Amino acid sequence: MRREGSPFSGLGAVTTKELADHLSSARMRVLEWLIVLTAVAALIGTIQQVRDTVSEDPFVFLKLFTEARQPLPSFVSILAFLIPLMAIGLGFDAVNGEHNRRTLSRVLSQPIYRDALLMGKFLAGLITLAISLVVLWLLVIGLGLLLLGVPPSTEEVLRSFAFLVVALAYAGLWLAAAILFSIVFRSPATAALTTLGLWLFLTVLWPALSPGIAYAISPPHPLYQLLNQPDPDTLVWEQGLARLSPSTLFGEVLRAVLNPATRAIGPIFLEQLEGALIGSPLPLAQSLLIAWPQLVSLIAGTIVLFVVGYVVFQRQEVRA
Amino acid sequence: MRVKTFVLALALGLAATGASHAQQASEQTPQIKGLFLITDYPAVTVQAGATSTVSLRLQNYGLPPERLALSVEGVPQGWTATILGGGQPVAAAMPAPGKDVSLQLRLDVPASAQSGVQTLTVNARGGSQNISLPIAVTLGKDLPAKLTLEPKLPELRGTPRSSFEYQMTIKNDSGRNLLVSLGAKAPQNFSTTFTEAYGSQELTSVPIEAGQSKDVKLTVRPPAQVGAGKVPVGVTVSAEGVSAEARVVMDIAGQSQLRLTGRDGVVSARAEAGNQTSVPLVVTNEGTAPAEAIELSGTAPSGWKIEFEPKEIPGIAPRERAEVQLLLTPAAKALAGDYMTTVRANSRGESASTDFRVAVSTSTYWGIAGAGIIGVALLIMVGAIARFGRR
Amino acid sequence: MNAVIEARNLTKRYGDASAVDGISFSVAGGEIFGLLGPNGAGKTTTILMMLGLTDVTDGEVRVLGLDPAREPLKVKGHVGYLPDSVSFYDNMTAAENLAYTARLMGLDRAEREARIKEELERVQLADVANKPVGTFSRGMRQRLGLAEILMKKAEVAILDEPTSGLDPQATEELLGMIRDLKSHNVTVLLSSHLLDRVQKVCDRVALFQAGKIALIGTVSELARQVLGSGFAVEVEAEGAGLAEKLRVIPGVSSVEATGVNRFRMLADRDVRPEAANVVVGAGGKLRQLSVDEPSLDAIYNRFFQKQNGAGEVRDAA
Repeated sequence: MRREGSPFSGLGAVTTKELADHLSSARMRVLEWLIVLTAVAALIGTIQQVRDTVSEDPFVFLKLFTEARQPLPSFVSILAFLIPLMAIGLGFDAVNGEHNRRTLSRVLSQPIYRDALLMGKFLAGLITLAISLVVLWLLVIGLGLLLLGVPPSTEEVLRSFAFLVVALAYAGLWLAAAILFSIVFRSPATAALTTLGLWLFLTVLWPALSPGIAYAISPPHPLYQLLNQPDPDTLVWEQGLARLSPSTLFGEVLRAVLNPATRAIGPIFLEQLEGALIGSPLPLAQSLLIAWPQLVSLIAGTIVLFVVGYVVFQRQEVRA
Repeated sequence: MRVKTFVLALALGLAATGASHAQQASEQTPQIKGLFLITDYPAVTVQAGATSTVSLRLQNYGLPPERLALSVEGVPQGWTATILGGGQPVAAAMPAPGKDVSLQLRLDVPASAQSGVQTLTVNARGGSQNISLPIAVTLGKDLPAKLTLEPKLPELRGTPRSSFEYQMTIKNDSGRNLLVSLGAKAPQNFSTTFTEAYGSQELTSVPIEAGQSKDVKLTVRPPAQVGAGKVPVGVTVSAEGVSAEARVVMDIAGQSQLRLTGRDGVVSARAEAGNQTSVPLVVTNEGTAPAEAIELSGTAPSGWKIEFEPKEIPGIAPRERAEVQLLLTPAAKALAGDYMTTVRANSRGESASTDFRVAVSTSTYWGIAGAGIIGVALLIMVGAIARFGRR
Repeated sequence: MNAVIEARNLTKRYGDASAVDGISFSVAGGEIFGLLGPNGAGKTTTILMMLGLTDVTDGEVRVLGLDPAREPLKVKGHVGYLPDSVSFYDNMTAAENLAYTARLMGLDRAEREARIKEELERVQLADVANKPVGTFSRGMRQRLGLAEILMKKAEVAILDEPTSGLDPQATEELLGMIRDLKSHNVTVLLSSHLLDRVQKVCDRVALFQAGKIALIGTVSELARQVLGSGFAVEVEAEGAGLAEKLRVIPGVSSVEATGVNRFRMLADRDVRPEAANVVVGAGGKLRQLSVDEPSLDAIYNRFFQKQNGAGEVRDAA
């Protein structure tokens, strides 16, 4: 049975309203300040460190993103940690909040499909995240300009922009996950806890677990153990398992995008390095190609999670 | 007295026939007794305006020492005749028995002196002895200055890149010391330098004493682009209006010289992992002889395939070039990034090589596959909207 | 008048359980139609099906001639819906809430502002237009919900339990507004489990029981059907043999003496004029004459008592 009318009618209204909600909500303000303060603290330390190292580096601006100065982690590590937090914060009560406020049926009795409602909520979350990330990006560039006194090169701007896109994809993934759980669980607290638990598991526990699991699935050949060398098969398993975690994927993409000298992610054979001019930067397109599978996984994961949430939402009854 | 005069005359006669005889006679015939004033050349030629010396010897054979006053008679007007002994003007000499005293007669001849033969007599007068030595002095004309130049090895063979070193001897055949200036005439762009035979100091002129000779070295460097053939180099030495010339010949053998670059001098290339790329290479013969049978080879990281099309160039004439294709296949698992490869051209000892920086990019197939995955995800989304949408 | 809402054999099943089981009814234009019944009888499910918010398992429903399952956007464009215990975004003001729904309706800016102002005045919320809805009482929220329907200029208003949780005065106000809707020629469909409260405004009602419509019709029709005679006329008069005389009035089914000179007549209509005539004609003194309108509660209770007593009766109507 084919229904008439556009599933997108009302999308703009929903997006605008949700966006306004996000941008004015106290929750967002807390998250934004948290991110901005930690990021600025990390940045200022990093900038001092970068200024102290006099050596000529054609990618000094990218260093601002990746360099860490004790005791603070680098700017990107902070973002890798806080982006999911922010995305989950935006999405965990997206749908169950409407249920609990009993506003869902009234909104849906307006001439819109619920497609528009869900998409609008996702879009608004994504736009909020994009705004926050762009602000942070400008903050890095601005502080860099102010304190380093050199303009970034086109390559650096493009690379940092690519970082922005990747960070958005990563944020989108966690947003989609949070929205999915907000559809599945009626209680926002349950949804938030589940998503945060999943995030902590995948970010903290999983990277520690995956070597053990890889060891169990594909025990290293005794020869390699004798040589005290890692077995390539085990390594492949280990890496494959670790990549189930979006944070691993995100870290890998960043390594390729923000460090132009990165030639490969993961273990490589020594013979692959023969004749290679180590340290020579790769063109951006090649760097992106290295990180492409990871980037694709992030984007496709976002879409798949959204679709799962979408299907579940569509099959739900409007009333509680 | 008559007997004594006879003896002196005899002695003079002996001296005139040959000093060696006289000496031989004096040494071998110790029974001869007497005092003699002798010279090797009792008739000499001197130049006007010059100072000449005549060597004299006062010989005592078995007589007791006696003071002999020395004097010169018959000195023409304006001339100065001085007797020197031990470098100082002396007025008397006293030879020990069986010994002699060397003396010199120095003649300062004025420039205005008339030519002709003058006879000067050197007298040695003692209490018992009285000896005279007449010397015929001919006022001769000045001897002409003369130089000779003789290269030892006048024809050398070499390549355009060798330096040609010619050893040569300059002889001053005149009676005077000369400052000889050196010059060489070679075609344009040939560099010529004179140095001492065994030294490195460059010279433009060299002093040579009268009658002496000196060895110098001429080094000629041809320009690198010189063609094969014989090149004559004229060498001229000159002093005071006289000169000597010689000709040396450089036999320059042709040589091939290879240069290998990318087309338009480009020494970098792009390649895709696992895919063959062809890079045009240019082999240039910058030498003067044709290069033959040029073989091309290369080194690349392991797993790479490096080939040339063609593998061998039969020959390249001087100043000509040939193009070959470098067929480079990076290993299928090569990582993206820059790599160094070296390509070489070899032709009978002559070789050229160049480093190529190869920027390897990885295949975009995976990129397309990734985009495909995103496409599939989007298709799933579209499908989900079609199936579950619009509620 | 054409049927504005028409349901034929409308069925909704969740798995094996039927929430709505083959109901048929039609609502004419300008009518106030009540879907009445206890909670869980299928009233809300029926409403959601009419709005296309839930799938129809079987049968069909037409709203303004449109199939809500096929053209829900058009249906929802013309139908206003006031859900059970309507809620708004508490952090937004009344005007902002209305502006959001107006945008969802696709109204342009000028139209939006004009209508919001007008309708807030109409529901007497103009003075709190810029206060957050979180501070509103239940009755104010219901009125705001009505304003939303008015703003939509809906041809059909569907009100789900509009009076639940309201105090008597708020209920009266709301019922007045519902009548006002009718006067603007809006067809109103309302559901309630409080039968008595809505009885007064409904032109016709459908009584729901376990997913089925047990009875449908005007209240007096139902009373006649179920109670036999729906009107109880109380007469207090002095006179002899009044009981016999009253009994012969056409339409009167029984007369009983409830006290000295007090009679209770059961009739299928309001027989007060005839009763007065009889008393006066018999030379009696009429002291009091009153009529009890049939109560839906009574109808409902009586009906299901009867039904239970008679066993499985599928369709008592």
